[in-house]
Amino acid sequence: MSGVFLEGIVKRYGSLSVVHGIDLEIKPREFVVLVGPSGCGKSTTLRMIAGLEEISDGTLRIGDRVMNRVAPKDRDVAMVFQNYALYPHLNVADNMAFGLRIRKTPKDEIAKSIEEVAQILGLTEYLERRPADLSGGQRQRVAMGRAIVRHPDVFLFDEPLSNLDAKLRTQMRAEIKRLHKRLGVTSIYVTHDQVEAMTLADRIVVMADGRIEQIGTPMDLFNNPVNTFVAGFIGSPPMNQFSAVIEEGQGGLVARANGTTIPLPALEELRGAAGRDVVVGIRPEHVHLGAEEGTSAIPIELDLIETLGSEALLHTHVGNETFVAKVETHGEIGHLQGVNALHVKPERVKLFDRETGRAIGRAA
Amino acid sequence: MKNMNLYSRGDKIFVFANMVLIALFTVAALYPFIYIAALSFSSGFAAAAGKVVLTPIELTLAAYERVMSEPAFWNSYKNTFIYTFGGTLTSLLIVIPGAYALSRPQLWGRRFWNLLVAFTMWFHAGMIPFFLNMRDLGLLDSYFGIIIGFAVNAFNIILLRNFFESIPTSFEEAARMDGANEWQVLWKVFVPLSKPAIATITLFCIVARWNGFFWAMVLLTDEGKIPLQVYLRHTIAELSDDEEFSSTLLSAPYSVETVTAAIIVCSIIPVLLIYPWVQKYFNKGILLGGVKE
Ligand SMILES: Nc1ncnc2c1ncn2[C@@H]1O[C@H](COP(=O)(O)OP(=O)(O)O)[C@@H](O)[C@H]1O
Ligand SMILES: [Mg+2]
Repeated sequence: MSGVFLEGIVKRYGSLSVVHGIDLEIKPREFVVLVGPSGCGKSTTLRMIAGLEEISDGTLRIGDRVMNRVAPKDRDVAMVFQNYALYPHLNVADNMAFGLRIRKTPKDEIAKSIEEVAQILGLTEYLERRPADLSGGQRQRVAMGRAIVRHPDVFLFDEPLSNLDAKLRTQMRAEIKRLHKRLGVTSIYVTHDQVEAMTLADRIVVMADGRIEQIGTPMDLFNNPVNTFVAGFIGSPPMNQFSAVIEEGQGGLVARANGTTIPLPALEELRGAAGRDVVVGIRPEHVHLGAEEGTSAIPIELDLIETLGSEALLHTHVGNETFVAKVETHGEIGHLQGVNALHVKPERVKLFDRETGRAIGRAA
Repeated sequence: MKNMNLYSRGDKIFVFANMVLIALFTVAALYPFIYIAALSFSSGFAAAAGKVVLTPIELTLAAYERVMSEPAFWNSYKNTFIYTFGGTLTSLLIVIPGAYALSRPQLWGRRFWNLLVAFTMWFHAGMIPFFLNMRDLGLLDSYFGIIIGFAVNAFNIILLRNFFESIPTSFEEAARMDGANEWQVLWKVFVPLSKPAIATITLFCIVARWNGFFWAMVLLTDEGKIPLQVYLRHTIAELSDDEEFSSTLLSAPYSVETVTAAIIVCSIIPVLLIYPWVQKYFNKGILLGGVKE
């Protein structure tokens, strides 16, 4: 298995630059997910790695070979497309055999590979069928099978699950994860769905506007987003964010916003920060019911309760900004109706510079 | 008509009028066939007297015997097969890769090349320059000249190019990721996916070649190389001019008309046989299921 290395990768269409210089090191066997809003350049980046788009600037290496000018077929990468792109005139077996036949793999070897992969993906019964006669999930599997039979060095996935319904998506997500565990092939996976990113990735690359915002493990990104963009993108529901000013409180620094006072963690970076304009970030999961000594009691008016089952989302607001708390229901929601205060532990409170959006300090 | 009750009065009249109109067209299109067939099996006398309308009069195979006893007929028949088969194959071998190249966004100067091809549909040098061109290339009286001289048809190229353009690029990309080179992408993916379009242009080619008359007449003087259509014309001319034949017309079992009709029937049969075979490729929807829309 090979690693994949991007150094200053740029993509320009004419004078329009859509990927502005990406540096990324993907280790052998790693599962890396590129995530970001639609149009941020994820697919373009992936297609440059595949060789389907020319690289305008920078260096791409797979293993120790520079790949900038190498044709896709000589890169030893396989790709699963969003629309599957199965050959409609070929049955499942021939779809999977296509690449092997082109590479002049011996017949018995092809038959063996297909049998084996069909077994893994549960496609054995469908080998004779045309794509038109398969369900969405089966087509998805065939698309993966076509990539797997070739035993490539690197797998590329471009939103492979976005055409499936929610239930099937969850199921296939788990299957992809299992496959990766089993095959251990270096994988680069593009999605706009942060839940997919969180569940699949060894490391996540958050992109916005053709740039990398942050690279890290899922928990890294969840706990220590480097800026307000990542904070808002990772996590569901997203992190609550509202503007505040840092002030000197009784027990230390506090953030004050619209009559709400939130005690802050004792951070090195906050020394002498009184008067600084910040954005306060609090994850819905870190909010608890009621007021408690030594924490930030946030008086609230409930706007709405969304019941999810074991959990509920309390919608309220701080000033004009909505504020969401995710709390346990313990099977009932009666006790949530009268809630008039919430609290959060100081060490859970994130601060971002209001000007730059960058995180201030790093909690453990 | 199913559920005719669900149609309003006006709709019923409209549907009925349509059916009548279509029936009339069908009859109008079919009648010449029936007439020619009937004529070919009629006696020369009946044909000359204009008695044949729908069915053979004084049923005889004399015209066919006359036609088939001529070695020149069989030779021209063979030539027509050569021109049709060779011409169609050559056309496909040029038109398919040409259309593919013109359909690819990565083709350098693509707009210019496309314009150049389309240009020939509206503007061409004309007959005399074309003839002189063929003559100067040494392509008169040559099988090769007929085959290559008319192999490229801009309309077919554009038709197929448009079809290729409608095939989602992800098929090409998937094939390239699978290791296919351009040539393999074309023959292993695009051609099988384009069967309906290719069947269409194949049929166009076959029919045009089979019926090809004018240029064959102009470019071929060697009797041994002429196709069936030219032979047909020669035969008509020959029989009409033949004093002796005309004078015995009343007693001859065949006439110019019946012989002409017999040759036409012979020339139509292969096209009728081929059509159902080509038609089965006209099925739409082959792209279905390959990509998720
Ligand atoms: N062929 C192209 N010409 C010009 N701009 C393009 C082309 N392909 C993509 N783009 C632009 O590049 C940006 C990134 O696209 P893409 O990589 O597909 O985004 P993502 O996959 O993250 O949704 C988009 O703004 C898109 O409009
Ligand atoms: Mg995309």
